[in-house]
Amino acid sequence: MKIVVCVKAVPDPKEADKIRIDPETKTLMRGDVPIVLNPLDKHAVEAAVQLKRKYDATVTILSMGPPAAGNIVKECLALGADQGILLSDRAFGGADAYATAYTLAKGIEKIGEFHLIFCGMASSDGATEWVGPQVATFLGVPVVTMVNEIMDDSNDEWLVKTAWEDGHRKVAVQLPAVLTVAREINKPKSLSFSGIIKARKKEIITWSGDDLGVSPEMVGFKGSPTIVGGFGTLETGRNVEFLEGTAEEMAERLVGILSDSGAIG
Amino acid sequence: MIDFTFSEEQDLFRKAARDFAENEVAKYVPEMEKTGKVPAGLVKAIGKAEMLAITIPEEYGGLELGYTARLIALEEISRISVATAMMLQVFALGIEPIVKFGTEEQKKKYLPGLATGEKLGTAAVTEATGGSDPTGIRTSYRKDGDDYIVNGRKCFITNSHIANTLVVLAKSDENPKDFCAFIVEKGMPGFKATHEEHKVGMKGCNTGELSFEDLRIPKANLLGQEGKGLRVTMAAIGEIGRGGMVGCALGLQAACLEESIKFANDRILYGKPISKLPEIQGKIADMRIDLEAGRLLGYRAASLQDSGTPASNEFAVAKYYTTEAAIKAAKTSVDIHGGYGCMEEYAVTRFYRDAAVLGPSAGTSAIMKVIIGRWALS
Amino acid sequence: MVSCLIQGQLGEVIMMNVINSGAVWVVAEVKDASPQPVSLQLVGKARLLADTLNVSVGVVLLGENLEGAAKLFITAGADTVYLAESADLAVYQSDMYAEIIVGLVRERRPDILLLGSTYMGRELAPILAARLETGLTAHCIDLVLGDNNVLKQQIPAYGGLISILCPEKRPQMATVASGVFSTPAFDRARSGKIERIAIPVGLTTRVKTVEMVREIKEEELLESARFIVAGGAGAGDWEGWSQIRQLSDSLNAALGCTRPVVDEGWAELETMIGQSGKMVSPQFYLGVGLSGELQHMVGIKGAQIMIAINNDRKSPVFEQVDFGIVADTKTFIPVLIKKIKEHVNKQVVS
Repeated sequence: MKIVVCVKAVPDPKEADKIRIDPETKTLMRGDVPIVLNPLDKHAVEAAVQLKRKYDATVTILSMGPPAAGNIVKECLALGADQGILLSDRAFGGADAYATAYTLAKGIEKIGEFHLIFCGMASSDGATEWVGPQVATFLGVPVVTMVNEIMDDSNDEWLVKTAWEDGHRKVAVQLPAVLTVAREINKPKSLSFSGIIKARKKEIITWSGDDLGVSPEMVGFKGSPTIVGGFGTLETGRNVEFLEGTAEEMAERLVGILSDSGAIG
Repeated sequence: MIDFTFSEEQDLFRKAARDFAENEVAKYVPEMEKTGKVPAGLVKAIGKAEMLAITIPEEYGGLELGYTARLIALEEISRISVATAMMLQVFALGIEPIVKFGTEEQKKKYLPGLATGEKLGTAAVTEATGGSDPTGIRTSYRKDGDDYIVNGRKCFITNSHIANTLVVLAKSDENPKDFCAFIVEKGMPGFKATHEEHKVGMKGCNTGELSFEDLRIPKANLLGQEGKGLRVTMAAIGEIGRGGMVGCALGLQAACLEESIKFANDRILYGKPISKLPEIQGKIADMRIDLEAGRLLGYRAASLQDSGTPASNEFAVAKYYTTEAAIKAAKTSVDIHGGYGCMEEYAVTRFYRDAAVLGPSAGTSAIMKVIIGRWALS
Repeated sequence: MVSCLIQGQLGEVIMMNVINSGAVWVVAEVKDASPQPVSLQLVGKARLLADTLNVSVGVVLLGENLEGAAKLFITAGADTVYLAESADLAVYQSDMYAEIIVGLVRERRPDILLLGSTYMGRELAPILAARLETGLTAHCIDLVLGDNNVLKQQIPAYGGLISILCPEKRPQMATVASGVFSTPAFDRARSGKIERIAIPVGLTTRVKTVEMVREIKEEELLESARFIVAGGAGAGDWEGWSQIRQLSDSLNAALGCTRPVVDEGWAELETMIGQSGKMVSPQFYLGVGLSGELQHMVGIKGAQIMIAINNDRKSPVFEQVDFGIVADTKTFIPVLIKKIKEHVNKQVVS
């Protein structure tokens, strides 16, 4: 069984609010926020690694990003994947989710045969939730999103469970397919020292646009159907009054405000 | 240009260690502060996270990651709990003599268990009559056929009550220049862990006394050559012990700096955060300078150790510098907190107490200076 | 209208309209034969956009027993409702729905295609966009017509409001969460057309919903709550989060959260408030340990009083609230809880 897991390097969600758009130049000021593995992708990697143990599958990590994202791929190898591929090229820069999905799909085509592709259901920075479904569509395979349980994986048609408005639905999907996973699907194992050592022998390859054989018009900024138009601020019309003093004093005042306004009795 | 950056792999080790410290160790800290006892769950978690296998060769079940990785792990764990880092560093202190001086049989017998946490180690050298000066110890051994009979008491031994595989130093009762290092196992008749200390800091790290009364030790448990035991234990304490203290100190320095920055940005005086005041900025700068310097000293020594070069002097410098810096950082962070720096809910009060225990461990600052002075003058 | 032949990224040859003149469409959903609120809201918005563009509003509806819902969509503002009815389509089937909708869109060429950010929309919209080789913006909080009548799809990001444009490809696609737009009034006098779509023969699927299971969920506490306490990454750890929960309990408030809290596993996705979570409109809001990221704040509408507790005076949350407290949450929350309990006890006694 051959599994591909698509992962993304994102700014650390715990510090991401430090990133701002410079109102004058309209570019992203990243600040010192370190990049980490997208939290939901950990669940995707764990799902693949569990299948690896069960069915002796091979797990390939695929990520589109700058060279620094190679460390994130390495982390996934330390978590149990077998090999990693980084799609990196200046031409890939500025891609929206559509161009990203297209590039990833081309990468998977180059990898060759696959039975399953796992993605985290959303990234912490874009959270569009598109990449999984669009990769599937470009590859011409079915997709199920927000999978929170794999109920039957014993043959070529799997039964999976996914959330729905009022409950859940059970879906029968024929492989090869793309599954995007929700947090509930598993509890990822933590990074271990022995995993990091085993990753030493595992390969990370980098592919450029030429390696994929894609035209620069189809990827990156040029291949993105959407662009960022304007940037503005959201006026809330509220002006904050800071409560000062010791903790006791501030708490006292706050309780007074809540009581006077009827928020509490 | 010297490359001062960590490798990708070392960054991953740091991440794994930090995740472990934050997710598995942090939750035990309140319990440790309250009871002063070592939580069984914590020791288990340390074994499971492969922390004990760092300095053990692969062929005996270890990971053989080297001393830089060890320092990274200790630094990250100490940032969350100095007591835990101290416990871990002393486990390694009991492992190193066996790795360096053990026979093949001894290594096969003890190292695999020490790697998983099934066996827990320590080194017992210090006594009431000799700590800084180990030659002053009175625990003695005499030969009885092929066995040795040991009598005496040890004090200030970390992991005294939780260790089951201890490396013990004893002096010959015939010739005071001869020493032997023995592997003592819990359960051997005549060996007891007796009094437990209540330290002002590093609570939850077990320190106590050991007593040996006509303890019979088989020849198979002699570590290294007969008469040459001092070398065995000093080799361990020199680099592993001092290196471990560097890890504990660096983690504490980092924690002091982080807490101080957080507090200084919160606390409003004169209408703005105190982090805007030059005096506070100066104190923060002091801590930062000491941390940068301490890290360079520590990792330089560890990297020498990894390359197989003797590094006990470099470690003496790092140990002296970082433990003194940690004490200063703890005081400074308490000062920055003002009145809150005396309140138990604030972590800096724990840092202050933890820092107090750093100095005398693995050789006092005074002894470090003697060693460094001799090195400079040689 | 100028059309030209373009080779798309899937290698197919497609026809593309270069000048905007198509309709505004909504792919709608029903539950128990009744229109879903988000679909009605989108039809209302589509009507407003279409009136400005002087074009028509189309609603695409797939399933079974849709006649009643179709009529309601017309009263809400639709000019044409395209119905594809079959037992096979009774529940959402991604392959089949995509095949039918793509065929219809390619034939009729709407200029704008909207879906709700529902479980169906979040999966189906990207599939449609990829097959139609067009752009899509997820979880929009507003849709505004800009220069050349190109649709400005607005989302919160990086502390501000960003307009996403799809300047060339058509249709322009966007998903919108329930509660962003208001429900339109029903005009019983409105007339419109219902067009039945033939379902392609031999439609197969490799992914089939085999069972839909309804689960009894607790009443929607957040959407109907008067007082909401929302916690963020500043809770620090599980212990910190429990403290915030205690605070919420002491205030008799409903507890919501931001995305990092869900990622940490302290709270469920269903309690996440924001652009891709729940939209709420409490009277009172207290944000604890969150930085006021726009993705979260846009989920809160029309509160009388908004308060924030954060340890960073420069935090953007303080630009969006009425009262602010700069404090370390772990040390301040217990003090606040104590004061609240004291106050409540005094009320009880008096």
